[in-house]
Amino acid sequence: MIEKFKREWLTAPGTNIMAGIVVALALIPEAIAFSIIAGVDPMVGLYASFLIAVIISIVGGRPAMISAATGAVALLVVPLVREYGVEYLFAATILMGIIQIILGILKVGKLLKFIPNSVMIGFVNALAIMIFMAQLQHIFGISFDTYIYVAVTLIILYLLPKFFTKLPAPLIAIVVLTACYIFLGAEVRTVGDLGAIEKSLPSFIIPDVPFTLETLKIIFPFSLSMAIVGLVESLLTARIVDNATDTYSSKNKESRGQGIANFITGLFGGMGGCAMIGQSVINVKSGATTRLSTFTAGFVLMLMIIVLGDFVVQIPMPILAGIMIVVTISTFDWKTFRYMQKAPRTDAFVMLITVAIILVTNNLAVGVVAGVFFSAIFFATKISKVKVISELTETHYVFHFEGQVFFASIDTMIEQLDFKPYDKDILLDFSKAHLWDDSAVNAIDTMVRKFEDKGNTVYVDQLNADSRKIVKELSQLNEQHLT
Amino acid sequence: MYKSVLLAADGSDNSYRAAEETLNFISKDTTVTILNVIQIEKSKDAVLHGGDMIHEQKDKLSGIIDLYESNNVRHNVIFERGIPDETVVKVSNSGDYDVIVLGNRGLNSLQGMMMGSVSHKVAKRAGIPVMIVK
Repeated sequence: MIEKFKREWLTAPGTNIMAGIVVALALIPEAIAFSIIAGVDPMVGLYASFLIAVIISIVGGRPAMISAATGAVALLVVPLVREYGVEYLFAATILMGIIQIILGILKVGKLLKFIPNSVMIGFVNALAIMIFMAQLQHIFGISFDTYIYVAVTLIILYLLPKFFTKLPAPLIAIVVLTACYIFLGAEVRTVGDLGAIEKSLPSFIIPDVPFTLETLKIIFPFSLSMAIVGLVESLLTARIVDNATDTYSSKNKESRGQGIANFITGLFGGMGGCAMIGQSVINVKSGATTRLSTFTAGFVLMLMIIVLGDFVVQIPMPILAGIMIVVTISTFDWKTFRYMQKAPRTDAFVMLITVAIILVTNNLAVGVVAGVFFSAIFFATKISKVKVISELTETHYVFHFEGQVFFASIDTMIEQLDFKPYDKDILLDFSKAHLWDDSAVNAIDTMVRKFEDKGNTVYVDQLNADSRKIVKELSQLNEQHLT
Repeated sequence: MYKSVLLAADGSDNSYRAAEETLNFISKDTTVTILNVIQIEKSKDAVLHGGDMIHEQKDKLSGIIDLYESNNVRHNVIFERGIPDETVVKVSNSGDYDVIVLGNRGLNSLQGMMMGSVSHKVAKRAGIPVMIVK
């Protein structure tokens, strides 16, 4: 226990604290930008990022992963905030946490493996497209100065890292360009124009919503979507961090931890969040291996806001928009185009349909569920093809069965049979087939009876051990059939 | 003669030339360790597109491995995850190697043209002799 604590918190503390600071600096623009997407004050996203990062560092399952307010969750709550206000967002975040805790206890982490890669690719692509689209309103049709600020931000973000990597380029862009704005002035909107920054710690509040069934009806669909999307992105990120660090982490513990973090965040006036792929990669790249890095990220973020709140409100929006565009470009999966050519048609279709449904419904959760549904159907269709090869001689009829025999495949299997023979020896060869359920057993009973009705002698041959077991238990066939 | 040579290789033509160059100063007793750095950013691709990263990287190094096999050079391959320049420096300073050999520019040619490329940083920070092959 103490060993584990030491390893997960105290290994290489210097490197981990430094990595956490780098992440904190990179988190600030994102937390503000995601608040603006959701339609709430920047403080809602900043409090959320502080609380989620600090809490998840203690209760999460994946050391060195970064969780905070995220675009995926922010995009989901836009209608809720617009129609009912921010208090309902806090209530929805609390319920999101409760749902995630329950899913975590039900060990839903294991279910992630039922989300195919095609759906995951669709998820990150749709997420990138939606965040990208949300930035356009901060770039176009405002002023000439806005274009200049966006352009210079993009230049700094792309060129600077080639020369200088000690500090994150987004931070340098913010400091340099905000200083330009403060001294030179420009016709641009600032963070302060879109909401207030309070230089105080979050405090405990019960959301100001009526505690009625009506409220529950309003927030539940949002909370459920938030919970699903939060877990999908968190568990995907956990897999990426597992891969990058060549270690393994508990997905169920992470699910519960995400729930606890969101539950508490909602009670302190923050919006829901989850793990972040980009920030976690930055963290690991900066040498992070322990929970201390995540804790530091949240802690330093809050410290910076309290100290530098007056500076933050003066950050021009086009800088944030430029930073977010770079974030979306690295979120998008650029191997998608090769994937569409190389992957099986059905996988490419599932990926595209996932993206399309998300963009139409504006809901990542609906897209993931639909994507999983479609791939399940394709899988069932693909697997429910049983091949029957007939080998007919004067006296002997042999039918070779190949494939998975279960409720969905028995129709195609029986259709391929020819029930014309009479008074013959018929051998049904199942050496390359597997019987899965009582429908399969019933189908074999039916086949045997149909042949026997015409005076044939039928042998069921070469069942594998599992298949033989269910046939013994469920079938009306007797020992004579099973040679 | 060097007993233990470290070859930093990303599978580019330059790293192959660096491998060829080592043939000029090794003996039967020399072991060449081929170091390949797997970048952290690749993890997202690996998770989304399946695929075995180690396997893919090994494919990239197959030219060099073939070269050493046909010349009967004792060699082994190690994979490290991290940032290329820092990781190469760290491994070269581990005390296990007498010299580090690398190409002057890797797969990322744009970065190489500008400055601060891996070879530049390794030359600056490695504590053992560095041979940069042009």
